[in-house]
Amino acid sequence: MNEIKPPRIVERAPEGDEWIPSTCNLCYGTCSILVHKVDGVAVKIEGNPKSTVGKGRLCGKGVSGLMTHYDPNRVRVPMRRTNPEKGIGIDPGWEEISWDEALDEIAGRLKKIRAEDPRKLSIQRTTTVYTMGLPWAAFAPGFGTTNVSEGGGGLHCGNSAHQVSGLLHASWGVLPDFQYCNYALYFGASKGHAAGHNSNSNMGQAADARERGMKMVVIDPMCNFAAAKANEWVPIRVGTDAALALAMCNVLANELGTLDIPYLKAKTNGPYLIGPDGTYVRDIETNEPLVWDTKDSIAKPHNVADSEDMALEGEFEVNGVTCQPSFILLKEHLKKYTPEYAEEITTVPAENIRRLTAEFAKEARIGSTIVIDGVTLPYRPAAAIAFRGLQGHRNATFNFLAVLLLNQLVGAADVVGSCHGFNSAFDGIPETGRMGYQPKAGPDGLMEVGTWMAYDPPYPRPEPKKPEEMGLQDLFVMGMTSPFFNSKEGEELWEKLDMPYRPEMLINYGANIMMSIANKDLIAESLKKLDFIASFDLFMNETSDFVDIILPDRGYLGCYNTRPNSPYIFSHPAGMGDWSWAIQQPVVEPEGKERIFADVLIDLAERADFLSDMNAAFNAVFDLRGENRLQGDKKYSYEEICDADLKNNFGDERGLEFFKKEGVISWPKTPEEVYWRPFTDARVPIYWEWMPELGKKIQAISGPAGLDVPMEYYSALVDYLPCASHECDHDNFDFYTFYYRDTLHTNSFTMENAWLDEAAQLDPYSYNIAMNTQSGLKRGLEDGDLIQLETAKGRKVKGRVHLTQAIHPEGLGIAALCGHWAKGMPVAEGKGIFYNELLELDWENVNPVNLTLDLCSKVKVSRVEEN
Amino acid sequence: MTSARYDQLINDLKSEYRPQREWAEGRGAFLIYGHFLVGVAAGGWLLSRYFGSFDGMVLSYLLACLGGLAHLVNLARPERALNMMLRYKTSWVSRGFWGLTFFMIGGLLYFLSRSEFGAPLGEGSRISAAGDILAIIGSLTMMCYMGFVYTASKGIPFWNSTLHPVLYIAYAIRGGIAVLVLTLALRGQELGGESGLLELWIGVTAVVIVLWVLEIQGAVSSGDETAKRSINDLLAGRLAVYFYGGTLLIGLVVPLVLTTGTIAPLSASILAVIGLASIIGDFFMKYSSIKAGVYLPVRLPHLHR
Amino acid sequence: MKWGMVIDLKRCVGCYGCQLSCKAEHGTPRGVFFARVLKQEEGQYPTVSQTFLPVLCNHCEDPPCVDACPTGASFVWEDDGTVDIDHDLCVGCRTCMLACPYSNRYFNDNEQAYYGDQGQTPYEAARTSQHQEGVVMKCNFCRDRRQEGKEPACVANCPTVARHFGDLDDPTSNVSRLIKERAGFVLHPDKGTKPNVYYLPA
Repeated sequence: MNEIKPPRIVERAPEGDEWIPSTCNLCYGTCSILVHKVDGVAVKIEGNPKSTVGKGRLCGKGVSGLMTHYDPNRVRVPMRRTNPEKGIGIDPGWEEISWDEALDEIAGRLKKIRAEDPRKLSIQRTTTVYTMGLPWAAFAPGFGTTNVSEGGGGLHCGNSAHQVSGLLHASWGVLPDFQYCNYALYFGASKGHAAGHNSNSNMGQAADARERGMKMVVIDPMCNFAAAKANEWVPIRVGTDAALALAMCNVLANELGTLDIPYLKAKTNGPYLIGPDGTYVRDIETNEPLVWDTKDSIAKPHNVADSEDMALEGEFEVNGVTCQPSFILLKEHLKKYTPEYAEEITTVPAENIRRLTAEFAKEARIGSTIVIDGVTLPYRPAAAIAFRGLQGHRNATFNFLAVLLLNQLVGAADVVGSCHGFNSAFDGIPETGRMGYQPKAGPDGLMEVGTWMAYDPPYPRPEPKKPEEMGLQDLFVMGMTSPFFNSKEGEELWEKLDMPYRPEMLINYGANIMMSIANKDLIAESLKKLDFIASFDLFMNETSDFVDIILPDRGYLGCYNTRPNSPYIFSHPAGMGDWSWAIQQPVVEPEGKERIFADVLIDLAERADFLSDMNAAFNAVFDLRGENRLQGDKKYSYEEICDADLKNNFGDERGLEFFKKEGVISWPKTPEEVYWRPFTDARVPIYWEWMPELGKKIQAISGPAGLDVPMEYYSALVDYLPCASHECDHDNFDFYTFYYRDTLHTNSFTMENAWLDEAAQLDPYSYNIAMNTQSGLKRGLEDGDLIQLETAKGRKVKGRVHLTQAIHPEGLGIAALCGHWAKGMPVAEGKGIFYNELLELDWENVNPVNLTLDLCSKVKVSRVEEN
Repeated sequence: MTSARYDQLINDLKSEYRPQREWAEGRGAFLIYGHFLVGVAAGGWLLSRYFGSFDGMVLSYLLACLGGLAHLVNLARPERALNMMLRYKTSWVSRGFWGLTFFMIGGLLYFLSRSEFGAPLGEGSRISAAGDILAIIGSLTMMCYMGFVYTASKGIPFWNSTLHPVLYIAYAIRGGIAVLVLTLALRGQELGGESGLLELWIGVTAVVIVLWVLEIQGAVSSGDETAKRSINDLLAGRLAVYFYGGTLLIGLVVPLVLTTGTIAPLSASILAVIGLASIIGDFFMKYSSIKAGVYLPVRLPHLHR
Repeated sequence: MKWGMVIDLKRCVGCYGCQLSCKAEHGTPRGVFFARVLKQEEGQYPTVSQTFLPVLCNHCEDPPCVDACPTGASFVWEDDGTVDIDHDLCVGCRTCMLACPYSNRYFNDNEQAYYGDQGQTPYEAARTSQHQEGVVMKCNFCRDRRQEGKEPACVANCPTVARHFGDLDDPTSNVSRLIKERAGFVLHPDKGTKPNVYYLPA
């Protein structure tokens, strides 16, 4: 055989030629990389085959990192504006300043604000390098502000995807168990198709699954990434997924009766008895929710009765009230979602809904088991998944819940072959046992996550109160990111809700919020109100027009991060295989005066006199113990803190020096970690009992301020509720717009990467508006025509139309976050469509539960005449 | 940040049927000039030699020199042009290079034996005879090679037709006649009725027309979408004006009508017009058919029609 | 021996990893691609399918480009059957581009810097400037990498492991086996070029 062997990795080659291990951060997928450096110049980035994160392979973005690193348009020196006037396209008149000048000015303002009310400082950072955010997690509490957001308020991140995945799977998102799943129902989501969390690893695993014969059905307005690889593409009207998923749930529960009864009894709150007021009937002594014990014919607390004896149906008299198990309420509730009803809403034929449900039910193989590494486990090789797309609607929470309910009904949750929360359980670093986490039963026996990416876990949520957070998340307690930082109503609401302070200063870390949230005019107004903005950036982007001091960041090839893949629920491959722990380290020298942002933050804390508080916060965030704890107001470099973090977790002999050389260490997962569900006594809510009460509490505070909470969103039972776009019935407004993440781009900044831009220019979709061919021809449009989209509120964008058969006749598909206009990103400028210009940022367009912004719009299409 | 040429390339790569610009635009335009000049020169040399027009031979030689120069300008690396002698066994371009070289050397030797140039090598010498033969071989090679270059271009289905070389040879002969007619006309020499030149021109033109019809019909009926696209560009698209105006009207209709003598008697000036129009027509034939080249799109086999 | 590649269209998700890892490996100038991803749509809504079709030089056994090349710059390595270009010989006549039925040859005549007037980046100075201008360029199955015992960059990097590389002369090689078992096919078989890049059906 003359086969070529797998690549040889030269660990440390001769002088002037080396491969340095680190971590990619062109997106938050954080694959492990090796950077080839020759005579001081980085000449190649490859995947690191020693790591399970990416397995030595990178996507198109990852291999293109050097074009971003060496881009001559990078900001290389600190700069200060000389023109006090801020506005879109108004030249700030940048002048170069020294780091000392920059830091002194920022620290001076920090000091003043901190003395007045530290909450006047708001901090926002880009999701692209979300995993590099640990220094911020120390800076913000060290300073004393809770106003921290990712990508700006109202960021289109998976508010509901994370929340509901957390509630039902103790993870940041869900995936099919690619290694064993036989039938995957994708409601949108390009998991395994080059985007999002675990991007590369998923691609490999999904390809294995396809080759193995996993059937994949993709429900999506557009047949692009995942749908292109599906066995069946089911086109659906934009934003109506919940109607389809609930019809499928109805078919499962009421037509087929294919239900995993033991699972529902043991792992959900289905047996919990619900009284006439819709709340749990509780044990008088312990206050635990009661279930009906069919063996003893009495009500018992859920944690006392044997789950197999719990009733799922029936009507009982307990504590003097008539009550029913929540499951039967759900089952009855689902009856209104007939496939015929869903067909009208979704355009998916009723017969297809029945057929797909029957296929899903059959493949779930309820009752079967399988042995993995000697452990006998439930085997449910069917999964229904979703991600950011379907929850980017006003019905965000229910949309996501409706899909995940399919898995719950057939017991396909975190068992072999099923829908998985990825890496929800981790036994800890083998030698030290550190960092481990497990989902566990919390209040009312419902599941609490083992680990989480945000401050507050999805369950239990705090009580709503009169808000003191700018985003009102302490009022809308189910929310994570919030539009009220920047929304139309923001100031009015703060006023009416007696917000004790106003935002005065913003520190921005790489987020380009002029583009990342909604129409630019609204965001511009909110940015103008701030007294001072300091921003760490790679490029002068659209948001820079409003910034006072720009600080050049070294970017991902110049930074330290000890936890690029931790917690594992964020971006670490799911399924059986290895755990890997990699680090991120500087591999190239700065080209100019760029600095590691973490060191800049430490400098600022020192100059603004809160270093000891920041050190204390570091100790808490990293859980530093013993000798590794940071002391008092001693100033540490971030490199030293990274060393402490690693030694704290891996032992003294495996500090930063060890990881710098080694790059990554790996060890095998156990079946109990991967298929953890059978090993926990935690239950998950299929009936959200707390919601109506929560809604009322919020209404009591928000109502008087003029913000009425529509109670149907706070129902205990999941529903389909339409978007504002579905209610738009103006003449000629006949297309629903939606955006998707292009595989070639991460958020908005990669459009400046000349290689990625070139590839996107060649792609038929990236920089165009996808429209159904027949729909286009009917309107006299030809492929390549310049068209204008206009919303009922008069917001407009222009772009070239690409006519394709691969899209729903009512949908217009647009790749997100293109259409830059900043001169500081000349490669990106003018390429593609700035989708978010079409979006409003107001109460009418957010999910009233968790404040997710609705990302679809109804538009009128017209051709733009060209000379 | 970007150049027109690069933007054009990106646009081309995006389009389903990508027009070839390699031999059409920028320095590539010189290949069209080169092929035009070399074809006319080769035909002109042979015809002039046959009909004994020394002036025609000189004109042909000069045209060939220009043609050779145009070929060099077409190269991005002209300093390496001699490398093109290396692959005559397989490459028609290499053979063409040899043909042109033979012609240039042969023609020079031939001229140097002619009294008009003072015959430094002596009249009727062996060298002269060798030069004569070499130039004839060179001309024949030049006439033939071009068509075969196109036929061998598998990326451009329109050119793949086996008729292409025949068409090029016919055009070279026709161009040769035109050169001769033009020379005679410019010299104010009467075209003797016995020469049969005009009849020959009409005959070859008839062949050219038949070949065109066959070529277009063949491309249309081949079922090859790419070739059809080329025909469409030629007859109804971006090249129609050159094809109808240049190749058909100026190159065929005008001289054909003039040869009948119905509009004006066949004076020397009318003959010059016939020759010139014919040559311009030849140019547009090459211009339009080379530019009509469209790359074969890369598709899955079952998507190919 | 005869190097060949098999691209599994079932595994490919069109992530452009091949196209861009190839750029990263070779530092090809703007407008020059040794590897590309094409997207092809088939059928009528709603019965429509999309195929991602990665393309590169097919390293044909009967390469029309080599026959057409007047200088011998385009040639076949006798020891492994790969088609390569000796850029020192190339005169930039572009005949080979028109001869290739796969449009996989590119003429290097655009700016040698992706950021145009702003000049070459240090990366481009180190990598792109190694390429000659005014010549035709194409994939050579990563000859330099193979000499180091590595697979071609697009193969080693493919996140979906859709690309396989091996000896087509060896009936037991991974590539020979895949072609046989999964009905591997080539592009434009009617052109008689006998490509050594095979595809497995989606």
